[in-house]
Amino acid sequence: MRVVAMIMAGGEGSRLTVLSEQRAKPSVPFAGKYRIIDFTLSNCVNSRIYDVAILTQYRPHSLNEHIGIGRPWDLDRMTGGVRLLQPYQARGSQGWYRGTADAVYQNIDYLLNRDADLVLILSGDHIYKMDYRPMIAYHEEKGADLTVAVMNVPLEETDRFGIMTVNKAGRVLEFYEKPKTRDKGTLASMGIYVFNVPKLIERLTEFHQKEPNLDFGKHVIPAMIHEDKVYAYPFEGYWVDVGTVDAYWRTSLELCDPNSPLNLWDPHWVIRTLSQERPPVKCSAQGKVVRALVSNGCTIHGYVEHSVLSPGVYVSPGAIVRDAVIMNDTWIGPGAIVDKAVVDKQVLIGAGVHLGWGDDWRPNAERPDWLDTGITVVGKGAHIAPNLRIGRNVLIYPDVDEDVFSVPDGLIPSGATVTPQAVLFPPATPAVVAASPTPATTVSTSPAVEGVSGFAQEVSS
Amino acid sequence: MNVLAMILAGGTGPGLLVLTAQRPDAAVPFGGKYRAIDFTLSNCVNSGLFNVAVLTQYMPRSLNEHIRAGKPWDLDRSQGGIRLLHPYQSHAEDRGGWQEGSSDAVRFNLDVVRESRCDRVLILAGNQIYKMNYQPMLEFHRLRRADITVGALPVPPYQSHRFGMLTTDPDGRITRFEEKPRRTRATLASMGIYVFEASVLMDILLGPGRNHRHLGAETLPWAVRHKRVYAYEFEGYWTNIGTISAYYEANMGLLADIPALELADPRWVIHTPSRQLPPVLLGPEAVTTSSLYCDGARIEGTVVRSVIGPGVYVAAGAEVRDSIIMDDTVIATGAVVDRAILDKEVQVGEGARVGTGDNIPNSTAPTLLNTGITVVGKRAVIPAGAVIGRNVIIRPRATPADFPADGVPGGATL
Repeated sequence: MRVVAMIMAGGEGSRLTVLSEQRAKPSVPFAGKYRIIDFTLSNCVNSRIYDVAILTQYRPHSLNEHIGIGRPWDLDRMTGGVRLLQPYQARGSQGWYRGTADAVYQNIDYLLNRDADLVLILSGDHIYKMDYRPMIAYHEEKGADLTVAVMNVPLEETDRFGIMTVNKAGRVLEFYEKPKTRDKGTLASMGIYVFNVPKLIERLTEFHQKEPNLDFGKHVIPAMIHEDKVYAYPFEGYWVDVGTVDAYWRTSLELCDPNSPLNLWDPHWVIRTLSQERPPVKCSAQGKVVRALVSNGCTIHGYVEHSVLSPGVYVSPGAIVRDAVIMNDTWIGPGAIVDKAVVDKQVLIGAGVHLGWGDDWRPNAERPDWLDTGITVVGKGAHIAPNLRIGRNVLIYPDVDEDVFSVPDGLIPSGATVTPQAVLFPPATPAVVAASPTPATTVSTSPAVEGVSGFAQEVSS
Repeated sequence: MNVLAMILAGGTGPGLLVLTAQRPDAAVPFGGKYRAIDFTLSNCVNSGLFNVAVLTQYMPRSLNEHIRAGKPWDLDRSQGGIRLLHPYQSHAEDRGGWQEGSSDAVRFNLDVVRESRCDRVLILAGNQIYKMNYQPMLEFHRLRRADITVGALPVPPYQSHRFGMLTTDPDGRITRFEEKPRRTRATLASMGIYVFEASVLMDILLGPGRNHRHLGAETLPWAVRHKRVYAYEFEGYWTNIGTISAYYEANMGLLADIPALELADPRWVIHTPSRQLPPVLLGPEAVTTSSLYCDGARIEGTVVRSVIGPGVYVAAGAEVRDSIIMDDTVIATGAVVDRAILDKEVQVGEGARVGTGDNIPNSTAPTLLNTGITVVGKRAVIPAGAVIGRNVIIRPRATPADFPADGVPGGATL
């Protein structure tokens, strides 16, 4: 039985705002030294699947850099190994992937060349640890054409998932993509599928003639339920889609808890990544770090509490970092304060800056739907001028320069957005004063889900 | 110009006591995540030298594991790359068998020199900690048309008895060589690294020097009298971790705010096989002053002025001061480790005290262990509540049954 895995990694992850501005969502750094796709890739090799294709589309450069030839996952192999499958031109045919199933359809050649019996379709967007072998065994045992991994989600969240009903044997009876009503049960598709390859090719070829924007959740699965043997495989365990800034921040900071539900220390299920060659973490005489996850190459002269630091972060003397996620090689100047923020790579936070200032918790004026829980987000390579006060729910774009920040009183109020050209102030309404939303201390069982790959929304938007 | 680097890594490192019980000194962990040989290997590749041989003899297994195919140094190449050269048997009289010194080691592997068709051989030591670009030294060698160039650095007079001391003329040519002199006017010490013209190396070791066993003590003095031997002066941090105190000082030196040996230098990265471990986790009560931490460490207690290796666990209420803790060692609640070197996978039981009381020199190695450092061998299990003095040596894999009920007094060896 030859199994190949195809990982959907074209998702834009637009709700992660500037974090996925210059990289696909699977390539967003997570838990200090990892990227989101490391979890799925590690699951593959830990499940002894060494034939892995990664389908890219949106901003693939950082992902390509990260995957390389697949060394960290031992996927630099003569037979099998990792392949990055980009959209391509062909004679008389289209280019871009127009949906998850369309992406697979355009790469049927890969499946045929690999002589695969089964294909495991995965999403590169999720944080979880899963052995795929029992699922594949289940698929074979049931004699299924398609097996969908499912988990129970809270009833109030069912409208974000594909919800299905099953009979006693596990066979799927009905499938509802993001149902509006709450009466369909709580069994949600995780976007993980095992297909028999001949059946998949047959169905994709058939469906594709009617629906060019072919999507697994919207078209393929609902159609197959009535004609083919579709089974649900129940998964119990930690699984999170860090689709929003809030979910990302919350899930990250949970890892500061020694009893975090996501155990990164398990020697039997190592999460592999491209480790940077960095010296050990250095904490100086005046440095102090508590409740934090800190990666190699960091230098700490200030105070760090309840934060996740990626490799190479420099915290200057007198600086305070609290409830924050700070990515690679960001420099936090002397006396600066960072409170409740997600700061991307290579950001300079000038001396004396107070990022996450004040008690005004009004949502971001430009994107109230994306930033409304008080988290300030700073894009890659932004340079923040010294001694500024920057409020809550502020969005700072990548590569913003110091000069943009010349504002009255040195204050960027809550809800503002800073683009490379200007500061967009929120409308002058009274401050929304409220207690800070509780920090992430509990397990996020309510992950926000954003489709399986994001290919489709690419076209629709 | 074709250069082959030969790294001598067969040393038994007797001065490092139990740290070299099961590994050569070149494979001793250093600075948390590194091993001593990483510095020399990284110097090679950072200097653009990609043809490297590592000569082993003593307990090579951990070195083999560490180097493997040479991936971290980009030495897994189809041309050149890294090879490990082990002692071998031979019917020829002039080679094969166990090597008694560095000249032996090089002589027995002259086939490699010949077959690599190199013009020059750079002979290096695996137990030295320094960052050095070898290209200027090779260039110096070429410009002087030297037969041999010796890496050298100035040392104060009180250290001259530890080194081969060199006297040079104004052009840098060595006119006099003294091996570990008690008194000398020379101030330039040999670092034990050499550039040889390949033909000269072969001629000496197969000809007049065929009975030499040690490069520094025998071959070099002979060559100074008969060949063009120059000294290349190196300016920078250099240390030889030949003794416990030198090893300890070199590690502790990394903790300075601006250390003499900067590891965070993006233009001179020290490469090593990084283990696949998550970032460092610091607990709610962690104290983390003036220390280095490697990925995979979990700190819930107090750590002051220490080097913490990968995967180390310091439980809440435990305290580690002025110590070097290697990979995967576990320090349980209430334990106190003070001025100690704990090898890999050591377990310190609850409430145990390692390094306490008076500074009594070690009874079996009084000259090596007299500054209060206690050394614990790999995988030793220290029972809960045990009290262990200073200058103590605990052997590898010691079990709780090996520990006397009233503790291990200062200066003892277990």
